[in-house]
Formats: sequence, C-alpha cells, structure tokens
Amino acid sequence: MSAIAWALPALPLVVGALLLLAGRRADRGAPILGVAAGLGTLGLAVAAAVARPDVTFPLFAGLPAGMAVDGLSAVLVVTVASAALAVLVFAAGDIGPDEARARFFGLMLVFAAAMLVTVTATDLAVLLMAWEVMGAMSYALIGFWWHDDERVESANVAFLTTRAGDLGLYFAAGCAVAGTHSLSLDALPDAASPWRDLVAAGVVLAALGKSAQLPFSFWLSRAMAGPSPVSALLHSATMVAAGAYLLLRVHPLLESTGWAETLVAWAGALTALVMGAVAVAQRDLKQLLAASTVAQIGFMVLAAGVGSVAGGTAQLVAHAAVKCLLFLGAGAFLTALGTKDLSELHGAARRYRLVGVTFGVGALALAGLPPLSIWATKDTILASTPGSLYAVGLAGGVLAAAYSVKMIVAVWHPQDALTRDDAEQPGTRHVGLAEKLPMPVLAAVGVGFGIVALPGVLGPWQKLLGASGEHGPTALELVISGGLAVLVAAVVASRRVRVPRLAVAENWLYLGQAADRLVARPVLALANALAWFDDRVLDGAVRAVAAGGRAAATVTSRRVELPTDGLVDGLGRAVRRLAALARRPQTGQVHTYYAQAAVLLVVLTLVVVLVG
Amino acid sequence: MNTMNPMMRENPADLLPELLTLFGAVLGLLTGMFVPRQRQWIAALVCAAGVLAGLVAAAFAVSGPRLMTFDSFMLDPVTHVTRLTVLGTTLLVLALGFAPMRGHRRETEFHVLTVFTALGTIALGAASDLLVLVAAYLLASIPAYALAGFRKDGKGAESALKYYLMGALLGLLMLTGVTLLYGLGRSTSYETLARDLPSNAAVTVGAILLVAGLLFKAGAVPAHFWVPDVAEGSSPVVATLVTTVPKIGALAALFRLGDEVMPHSWALTIALIATATMTLGNLAAFGQDNVRRLLAYSTISQAGYLLVPVAMAGRTDLAEPALLYYVAAYALTNLGAFAVVVAVGRDRISDYRGLARRSPLLALSLVICLLGLIGTPPTAVFVGKVLMLGAAVEGHYIWLAVVAAVNTVASVFYYLRWVVPLYSRAEGEPPAVSRPAALVVYLTTALTLALGIGSGIALSLN
Repeated sequence: MSAIAWALPALPLVVGALLLLAGRRADRGAPILGVAAGLGTLGLAVAAAVARPDVTFPLFAGLPAGMAVDGLSAVLVVTVASAALAVLVFAAGDIGPDEARARFFGLMLVFAAAMLVTVTATDLAVLLMAWEVMGAMSYALIGFWWHDDERVESANVAFLTTRAGDLGLYFAAGCAVAGTHSLSLDALPDAASPWRDLVAAGVVLAALGKSAQLPFSFWLSRAMAGPSPVSALLHSATMVAAGAYLLLRVHPLLESTGWAETLVAWAGALTALVMGAVAVAQRDLKQLLAASTVAQIGFMVLAAGVGSVAGGTAQLVAHAAVKCLLFLGAGAFLTALGTKDLSELHGAARRYRLVGVTFGVGALALAGLPPLSIWATKDTILASTPGSLYAVGLAGGVLAAAYSVKMIVAVWHPQDALTRDDAEQPGTRHVGLAEKLPMPVLAAVGVGFGIVALPGVLGPWQKLLGASGEHGPTALELVISGGLAVLVAAVVASRRVRVPRLAVAENWLYLGQAADRLVARPVLALANALAWFDDRVLDGAVRAVAAGGRAAATVTSRRVELPTDGLVDGLGRAVRRLAALARRPQTGQVHTYYAQAAVLLVVLTLVVVLVG
Repeated sequence: MNTMNPMMRENPADLLPELLTLFGAVLGLLTGMFVPRQRQWIAALVCAAGVLAGLVAAAFAVSGPRLMTFDSFMLDPVTHVTRLTVLGTTLLVLALGFAPMRGHRRETEFHVLTVFTALGTIALGAASDLLVLVAAYLLASIPAYALAGFRKDGKGAESALKYYLMGALLGLLMLTGVTLLYGLGRSTSYETLARDLPSNAAVTVGAILLVAGLLFKAGAVPAHFWVPDVAEGSSPVVATLVTTVPKIGALAALFRLGDEVMPHSWALTIALIATATMTLGNLAAFGQDNVRRLLAYSTISQAGYLLVPVAMAGRTDLAEPALLYYVAAYALTNLGAFAVVVAVGRDRISDYRGLARRSPLLALSLVICLLGLIGTPPTAVFVGKVLMLGAAVEGHYIWLAVVAAVNTVASVFYYLRWVVPLYSRAEGEPPAVSRPAALVVYLTTALTLALGIGSGIALSLN
C-alpha cells in the first residue's frame, strides 16, 4: 500500500532527474519518455486516490514525517497528474526538436513530482522540501530560454518573490516545533496561543506569496516569460495552486486563530476583484490569462477563508482544467501565429478551428456562464460567504465574465487589415496532433465539472473531502450569478461599451514597481550600506589592527628589539669572556695547578669557617 | 641521618662481588702470563667474566639486609648502587677496550688494571672507615695512573704524570685531613666520628682536606685540573674509564661522609664546591673544539650537579635516591658519549661533519647521549636532574637549584655545538666507524633510554 505513496512522486522525480542528468543526449527520446512518465504518474495517482496510502518515516529525531493521501489529496493528485499529462502531451508537439527537450521534460517532471509531494505531505518538513523544489523548478522553467537576459530577470523576480513568501513557511515550521513539539499539519491548531497565531501568519504569508495573491501578484506577470506549457502547468495545477491548496489544507488552523480566516477571505476576495480588473485591462493574451489566474485563485483563497473546502477544491479542479486549456490554446496560437497580442490574434480561432472551439469553450467556462463548471464551483464558494464578501466575490465574477468574453471576441473576430502575424516571433502556421490532443479532454472537464455543485453530487463530493455540512449554492444565487455573467458577456460581446483604459490596471497596479521601490531598492540600499560598513568599518578595523600591529612591530624592532638584542648579545659576549677566563686556569703546567688548588682550598676553608 | 645501628658481622661472603671480581682479575693476570700474545684475549675474557660474576653477585646482594662487615665496609643502598654501576660500566669499558687492545703487548695488563681501578672505586664507595677510605683511594688511583700513560707516547706520559702529581698532592692533603680528624675524633670509624667529633674550625679544616682527595677522584673544583689533560692525552678508552668509573665511588664516599659523619657546615662547603664546579666546567666547555676536552669539561660540570645531592646529604630523604639515580644515569650517558669518540676515533668537532650520513644510528645515539647529558626527557639524566633539583629545593638550598638550572640552560650551547655538525654536509670523506665500539654505543644509549623511561620502576625499587 505504502509503495504507491512512494512511487507516486518517485516516478516523475526519477525520470525527470535522469533526463536532467542525461542532458542533450536524451533530447530525442525525452518527449516519449516524458509522456510515458506522465501517463504512469496519472495511473499511480488514480491508484493512490483509490487506495489512500499512508506512510510515515523518521526525518528528524522525535519529529516523524510522512506522506498520506486523504480525500483532498486524492483529488489534488489526480488533478496534478492529469494536468501534467495534458501539458506534457502538448509540449511534445510544442517544444521543437531543436530545443533542449531533455532539460524541459526533466524539469517539468520534477516540478510535477514536487507538487505531488506537496499535496500529500502530512508535515511541514516534507511540505517545505517539496515547496522549495517546486520554487526552484519554477525558476528553472521560467528562465528556460536562459540566453535571453530579460527572461532570466523574470525568473529571478518570480523566484525571489515566492522565496520571500516562503520564509513564512520556515517561520511557521519553527513556531510549530516550539508550539506543538511536532511538525504535523494536523497538530497545528492545537499549538499554544502565541505560537498558533505565529504559525498561521507564516503559513498565510507563504501561501499568498506562492499563489500570487495581493500584494505578491506581479511575479506571475513576469512568469509569462517561460514557454507556454510551463505557464499552462504553473497556472493550473501546480505552483499557484499550491498556495490555495495549503490554505484549504490548514483551514482548521485558520479557523482556530479567529483572525486568519477573515484575513484570508478578504485577501482572496479583493484579489479576485482587483486582479479581475487588471485582467480586463490586459491587451496581451498571456498577461490576461495570468491576471485571470490570480483572480480565480482568489476565489479559492476566499473559499479557504470562509471554510468552503468543497467549493474551493472544486474551483481548483475546474480552474485547473480550464486554465490549462486556455494556456495551451494561447501557446498554440503563439507558436502558430507568432503573437499573443489580442488585437493581432483576430481570426486565430477561425484559422485553427479545433483550438478556437476548445479555447472558446474554456473561456466561456472561465466567464462563469451557466451551465459550465466555474459558474457552479464559484457559486458553491459564494454560498458560504457572508454579505459584503459576497458582493465583492460577485463583482469579481462579473469581471471574470468581462475578460473571458474579451478573449473570445479577440480570437473569433474576423481577420482584418490591421492583423499582422509574427508580431513577436516567427510562427509555424501549424498546430500539430500532439498539441490538439489534450484540448478536447480539458474542454470536456471544463464544461462538465460543475456537476459537483449539483445537489445530488455535492453531498458525496463534500464527503470525499471531509467537508460535509458546508452550504451548497441556492437556486437564487445560481440564477443571480449566472444572469449577471450572461448579461456582462452579452454586453462585452456586443462591443457597445468601451472598456476604459486604466493605466493602473494595465500595469498590474504597478505592484512590481512598488515592490522594486519599497522592497528591492531599500534592501539593496541597506545591503550597500552594510557592505560599506563592512568594507570601511569592520574591514577598516581589521586593517587598522594589522597596521597597528605593524607599527607596534616597527616601534618594537627599533626601540625594544635593539636594546633587547643588545642585552642578549651583551650576555653572550660576557659569557664568552667568562668562558675564556674559565679556560685560563688550565695552563697545562702542574705547578700552577698546585698553586690554584691550594689557594682555592684555603679560600674555601676561610669562607666556610667564617660564614658557616 | 642513619641513626639505626646496622648489624655487624665479619662474613667474607658479604664481599662476594668484590672477591669474584678480584679473583677474575688475578686469574686473568696469571692467564696473561702463560698465553702467547695472540691469545691474550683469553685473559681479557677471564677478567670480563670475573666482572660479570661480580655484577651478578652484586645484583643478588641488593636484597640483603643493611649491615656493616669487617667493621669498615657498609652494605647499604649506596654500596649496592656503587657496585652495580661500577661493575656495569667497567664491563662496558672492557668491551670498549677489547678491540683496540687486541694484540697489544700489554693487553692483559690493561684489562687487569681496569678491573683493579673498579675494585678500588667500589671500596671507596663502601668504606665507612677513614683508613679504608685512604686505602681505597690509593687502589683506585694507582692503576688509573698507569692506564693514563699506557700508550707510552709523549702526550700519554704527560697526562699520566699530571694525573699522578695531582693525585699525590690531594692524596697527601686527604691523609692530613684524616690525621686531623682522627686526632679530633679519636677514631677513624665513621660511627665513632659521628658521635665524638666536636664542632669547631679545626674539624672544618680537616673535613675540607679529606674532601679534597675525594674531589680529585670526582674531578671537581679545585682538583679538576687533571680531567681535561688526561681525557685528551690518554687513549680514548682510558679517558672513558677515568671520567666515568672513579667518579661513582668518590661521590658515593662523599655522600656517605656527609650522611653518616655530617661534620659542621657540610652543606655549605659542598654547595660552594658544587657551584664552582658546575659553573667552571660549563664555561670552560664553551670554546672547546676538541670533543674529548669538551666531554672532559662536561664531566666536570656533571660532577658539580652530582655534588648537589651530596651537599643535601642528611638534609632531605630525597638526597640519596637523587644521587644514586643521577650517578648511575650519568655513568651510562657519559660512557655512551665517550664510546662514540672511541668508535669514530677522531677528536675535532669538525671531524664529525656528516656523520649522520655515514652512520645515522651512531649519530642518533650521540645526539641522544648529548641531549641526555643536558637532561632532556626521556633520557635517564633527566630524571636524575629532576630529583637533584628537588633535593636542593627540599633541602632549602633554592639558590643552588637556581644555579644548577641556569648552568643546565647554558650547557645546551656547547652540546649543540657538537650536534649540529653531525647533520651538516660533509666536506671530505666522513670518518670510518669501529663496529664493536658502535655496538657498545647502541647498547649504552638503549640502556639510558630504558632507564629514563623505566624511571618509575627504577625509583620504586629504591
């Protein structure tokens, strides 16, 4: 049983590591191997979801670590494995033979493996390891085309931002050991009072950073520098989903603190609203999708905040499928037409029908149109949400409809005179079988997954996740949100209303610049100041000590050494003279010996008689 | 200090070591008369066998009770150690002299005279009567005079004559001292003298005159003048003998006098002599280029150190083990150093350049012996020196300990002057090495190390 728990992350990890070690020699076979490993992983994930394995192993003395598949993990492992497989199949066609395919597939597999460990870890230590590996892989994948300095810069931004959030997880782990004497996730709510709050704060910080929630959202914009399949995986079932997953997982902890739930709920709701607006303002397809990811993850974070684990998980799965599909579509367009600018993509959907149709279906689902999946999952979340939060969430949903339809309009609008191909890179004018293959499947999931919100299905779904008793959406709520979505979609599609251009929203609220001004530059300035301090003061002191030592040595050698030396020399000379004197009595003549012996004996006698 | 009256008896068996040695010597002499010159070595072996038998008997006698035999011969730890050390070093000297004397027309005489010197020395250390002491002095001295001039060359004759004349003067002074003390104490027996001697200047004068003779045998100031001349002028083997063996008996006799008779102001007298001796010996050794003269002055300075526990006789219980341990360690180490000179056969320090290349083991042994004479652990002299300094401190003669320590530091200089050339590059052909003598060197060096390392055991037996 436990073998499955080990094999599930081990298969992609080992294959990925081997591919990475083999390097370019394995480029030819890498797609086949990668897809095979993805298939195997999906099989293992399904098996694990059924068998629910549970392993514990010693990691640190007195702090047992482990991996287990419960209901939430079961859903997540299947989602992760499916998304990974879909992306790997697409990448087999999209990543050309002249690319470093072994490296790409190796990194992707390790990335997926890290996510699988993250969602099965039962303690903070294992979670942290996987969490870190995932961060490192995301860095390597975003900077996959490392010859381009700007892409590497983007990878740096993404890595540093998520890392900054990750510190919260280390902090949480330390506080967990202090508060509960264990690292177990289940034990966190039992921590003593100050520790529990500190753990919650650390976990929330790490999760918000990983999920690119406000105010960390900007890194996801920079993460678009990576290849499209990377975006597809990173935005759907790994990385950003990890933060939402973690919050859903530690929901009892958030609940126990009293304040964390509210904080998380508002962070999620506001992110959904604000980033929705940002998405509406985007004119680049991938940037729009990135902003929409943040907004949609915001709903999941909101779910964690309001205690709607079933809704949040459903949203995660539905969004994973939809977003994966949309990124694959955007990637296919980019590869074929050489552009991702919305105004240059006119007619794209008409030129590649399958991609266009599935992309349209995905976008409609993302818009929250009934009866597609996200309409239902989002409402499941909002069902548990109180008044003002509900309004914010609903507004976020309206914006989702707006940006989704904006995409559909862009790609289905007939090609016109102003549409240019290859605006960003030379396109191939070709969408291959491998690229097309995952799209219908993902589209089907995107369409149909809303079924879990139906009254008959919601109960078992909640039971699966151990979240029985949570509210389901009422008919009224469903009608309101569906109606709003349809209305907005119709308005946007009719193109009667011009969306005002907001520079703030277009530039992701200047969050990146703000981070640069408020965090990066002060830190650099502080580092420079400390470097100055180190160079001038500390190093100066060390150099001053050395110089002082030399000066003292000089003084010593002039003022002290010479007299001392002279003293030693003088002693030597004196002893030498004495030694010469000591040889004088040895004249070689017996009569002088006699005289000396006699005199000495007389002197000795006198001394002893007089003194003694 | 030894107030307990020892048991008295007159049993010749108590003198078995001496008798066996004497028997060996006489038999050797007779053998030498009747065998041809080519086979005189048989006589040498007979002498050596006698010494070995005496050594074995002496070893067995160690466990015997403390007693006086024939009214004048003490059997106590001092005598036991004197016997063992003298006979042991004599055996090594015989081994050292065996090869150089092979085929010499007076081969037998050399060995017999050596054994007689040893016998006189033992008697010197064991005597507890002034007249026996004088007789022992003569027995120890006269064969040594003959040995000093044994080569019959100019330098040998000169050194023999100097040796004899110094001995004659100091022997005379000694007899005068004995006469004076006899007159003042009305006896020559130590036991009676200890009881009856008054405490006045005349006794001090008598004691100093008596001591003068023993200082001659010990090679200490002011009777040290013969040591460098004889060490340089006579043959190296004889130099080894006269700088090693007589000292043992003389120091034992001095200690016995101090311990058993303890005249007034003994400690001060000997302390002054010790100071003068070690200082003069060290200073005079500084400029020597002749290794035999260097060693001769080294033996003078060592006599100075050895006089420290003698001065402390009766003042501290540490004095006796200190003297006995140091004297045995000194005898072995000094013999080892001289044996290197015998093995190499050269006298200038510069002749020893590159010895380490030609004979590394011999050079290493010499280094160990010289470091031993300085008093470096783990050699035997180190332990002796520690005990000696301890005795001086315990006897409240701290200034004497300081003088000894300063002298020790100063002595490093001239010993190292000899060590350094051993490891420098040789200019010409390094000297050839005599193998039998080298074997004696190795044996002696090993013994000094074993004695030093086994010092705990050696001391616990005391």
